[in-house]
Amino acid sequence: MALPNKILPGFSAALYAQPTASPTPLTTAALSTVATVSALAIPANLLPVEAIPAFGQDDAVASFSVAGSRQSDKIPTQSAPTSMTITAAWNPSDAMLLIIRGDAYSGTVDRTYVISATDGTNTVYYAFNGRVSEFKIDAAPGAESKCTFTVHPRGNQYGWSNTI
Amino acid sequence: MKIVDAVKELTSTYRSLSEVARGLPVDADEVAKALAKASPDSEEATALRVLASFNPVVKPTAKVQVEIKD
Repeated sequence: MALPNKILPGFSAALYAQPTASPTPLTTAALSTVATVSALAIPANLLPVEAIPAFGQDDAVASFSVAGSRQSDKIPTQSAPTSMTITAAWNPSDAMLLIIRGDAYSGTVDRTYVISATDGTNTVYYAFNGRVSEFKIDAAPGAESKCTFTVHPRGNQYGWSNTI
Repeated sequence: MKIVDAVKELTSTYRSLSEVARGLPVDADEVAKALAKASPDSEEATALRVLASFNPVVKPTAKVQVEIKD
């Protein structure tokens, strides 16, 4: 998998999601191609999130056990996709948030998400396919309404790309 | 395997590109030629770059004549 060849000294990040209720997520090759990824990273697809959580891969362990066996097995995996719990200002009129809420209701909708990190000149994109769960709305009267949801990336379906 | 078929498989898969490319038997020279022709910012080029990483072109090294002195 190609890694970005840009180093950004400081950057601002944004999260975009593929539009429409029943999207066809990008293939793995398309997730690593800047032309297809940047086409999704447009203002109409922006999710109004408060902050972008850590993204990428992390170490993990897959645990296996066999019924009747006295000992289980743990196999280290080096590239488990990181689930992202995201908080956004809740706006019931925001089309993208309503799409995400619909995905959470379904639980089986695969959608392409794009995180762009830009220093104003260069942009690095991390694109992945994922499903949404745990969509919650916090409507506490003392503060602005917020919604929280978790995006679970699908294994192997990610790609890095960058502008030249 | 034809390069066109290999590229088609790589650009349509949702599996790991490395995993798929490793199992595709292609000619390294053909991959290099196709990569040179492909638009650098295309899915085809992305697929060909992965194929090229597993099928590097090996240039034959020129043999140096060695004088045998008695």
